[in-house]
Amino acid sequence: MPEWSVRYVAGLLRGAATSPVTHSLLLAFVAGGVIVALTGQDPLVAYREMFGGAVDGSGLRNTLSRAIPIVGMALAVSVCFRAGVINLGGEGQMVVGGLAGTVVAIYTPGPGAFVIPLALLAGAAAGAAWALLPAFAQTRLALPILLTSLLLNYVGRAVTGYLVRFPLADVSVTLATTRQVPESARMPKLPIFGGVSLSLLLVLVLVVAMAVVYARSVVGYETKMSGFSGRFARYGGVAVERQTVAVMAVSGAIGGAIGTHLIIGDALRFIEGELVLSGLAWTGLLVSLLAANRPILILGAGLLFSGLQIGGLAMQRNADISWRLAQVLQALVIIAVASRMSLRPRRRREADSVEVEELAVEPARVGQV
Amino acid sequence: MFDQLFDSALLDSALRAMIPILLAALGGAICERAGVFQIALEGMMLAGAFAAVAGSFFAQSSAMGILFAVGGGVAVSLILAYGAVTKRGDAIVLGISINLFAFGITGFLLPQIFGVRGVFQHDRIDGLERISIPLLADIPVIGPVLFRTTVTAYLSFLLVPALWLFLFRTPIGLRLRGVGERPAAAATLGVSPHRYKYAAVIASGVLTGLAGAQLALGNVVQFAENMSSGRGWVAVVAVMLGRAHPTGVLGASLLFAFAEALGFRFQGNGLPVQITDALPFVVTLLALVIARKRFARLLDLTTASA
Repeated sequence: MPEWSVRYVAGLLRGAATSPVTHSLLLAFVAGGVIVALTGQDPLVAYREMFGGAVDGSGLRNTLSRAIPIVGMALAVSVCFRAGVINLGGEGQMVVGGLAGTVVAIYTPGPGAFVIPLALLAGAAAGAAWALLPAFAQTRLALPILLTSLLLNYVGRAVTGYLVRFPLADVSVTLATTRQVPESARMPKLPIFGGVSLSLLLVLVLVVAMAVVYARSVVGYETKMSGFSGRFARYGGVAVERQTVAVMAVSGAIGGAIGTHLIIGDALRFIEGELVLSGLAWTGLLVSLLAANRPILILGAGLLFSGLQIGGLAMQRNADISWRLAQVLQALVIIAVASRMSLRPRRRREADSVEVEELAVEPARVGQV
Repeated sequence: MFDQLFDSALLDSALRAMIPILLAALGGAICERAGVFQIALEGMMLAGAFAAVAGSFFAQSSAMGILFAVGGGVAVSLILAYGAVTKRGDAIVLGISINLFAFGITGFLLPQIFGVRGVFQHDRIDGLERISIPLLADIPVIGPVLFRTTVTAYLSFLLVPALWLFLFRTPIGLRLRGVGERPAAAATLGVSPHRYKYAAVIASGVLTGLAGAQLALGNVVQFAENMSSGRGWVAVVAVMLGRAHPTGVLGASLLFAFAEALGFRFQGNGLPVQITDALPFVVTLLALVIARKRFARLLDLTTASA
């Protein structure tokens, strides 16, 4: 092996070993293990089932399948977080877009090659429209997106719930749900790992495209600049308000398309509350935070969190430990990262610094944790 | 029509809806005054509700339930205090992840401890008793509503004037506000911002834990998964609308509580539950639109476009 490659790998390993993200992951797993032990279960058994379940048997296929919406929702939120726009409405945008896409898929006649892209576009349009409400509320009415986008999640939940219970209901079943998506309008499956939705390819393309746009384009630079400092961006000639509206629309569109995939590529029926219950939008948000909003890292972090959830389900089946441990671990990782936890003790001087000095430092913003 | 809508049953359900929001929002107001952006109320309330049911079930006493609820709220609040105050992390990221943590851990512990999913109901859970205050409880219409209620409700009534006195008429309150408004000046005068911020966050943990106890032992006697269902977020809005002022927060909480109670009433009159469930959130959004001039500071805090 040439010497430079050894040095490169050693550098990568050293980087990973000293990274606060690695330390946060370790701390989260230790804390999660303690919680499992406190409930009278064996943490080693729990983690063995969890890690095994993520890849064993159909585990790998399920991990890849679940990574599609997680990575997608993470990409959606990364657009906003990078630009300093705190969009907490991913869930609503996903659900509203998902229903719109489903309706198009069910009621539009024609071949799949026509209906499927149309459904995705309809979902994206509806998700974008839902996201524009909080966007304009901020730029026109000076209402913080953080609150309005979040409150609209509950409204979106109610509106879609009403629609599938009454006007769009499939009366032949007792559930509040739409009809099943017809065979021709379903997202095809790739012949890998026993069948993973074609949406996987779309998400991979999106990861690459967004990585390029973020790193290489004027728009990518301007949004990043706004994320660091709105004042600076404005001074540099960026129309910050227009940008806020644009990133919300793009974010909502991705969310809406992902919501559509979840029905036409997976569940096949829009059942009241199912998309909300999945918690996928929030998992995506945590993934984007862990990956510092960087698309390639989002892919890795998304696969990790997806594996935790799929492995968690296996753990629940085999060891009778609730899969919700996965959600606990995910949240703990981000808490640790945001608290800048490190296994190496901080230098004393830093810890004891004078408080007045600390106050001069602006707190880190979303995306810079 | 109105005399059918506004009767003492409606007042009673509005009051029940108001207590958790008010308690959480008062906690949020203390944090806001101390300059800590507190959006973990939702998670703290959920943790408080779970702990309340667990404490009440195992000790078969509602007093222990309240104690556990306070403990649960404080435990979660310490995560925020450590991350945001000691480590100077982003309070928004911490708040969101703490809410998701509380959602995950209560969903995890429910089957692990009680062996059920979704809802835990049991005869051994001791609910909060309604305590009647003699004479006052006999006042027509409002008497049975205001003066025959739970201990947490009485506490929340007393807290509104008490918090006002504390914030605006005591030296400690003055220092707390100083820490929030001019931290550098407060520090120069020898007031430790860290200590005050910690105290404020822990106080919000106590109050929001009590809110959880009212929710799980007062309004109903059970724990249901995600039972805070957005009330903590409504409380965040109540803090903003009420300008972190105790009476303002009371007014905002009352508004949302009436929306919830009216929704419940409309539901009884045949309106679909999906529509009535959305009512408090629609009212909250409308209130935000009407009072929009008040959010300049929050906007500064939460956007980069300031």
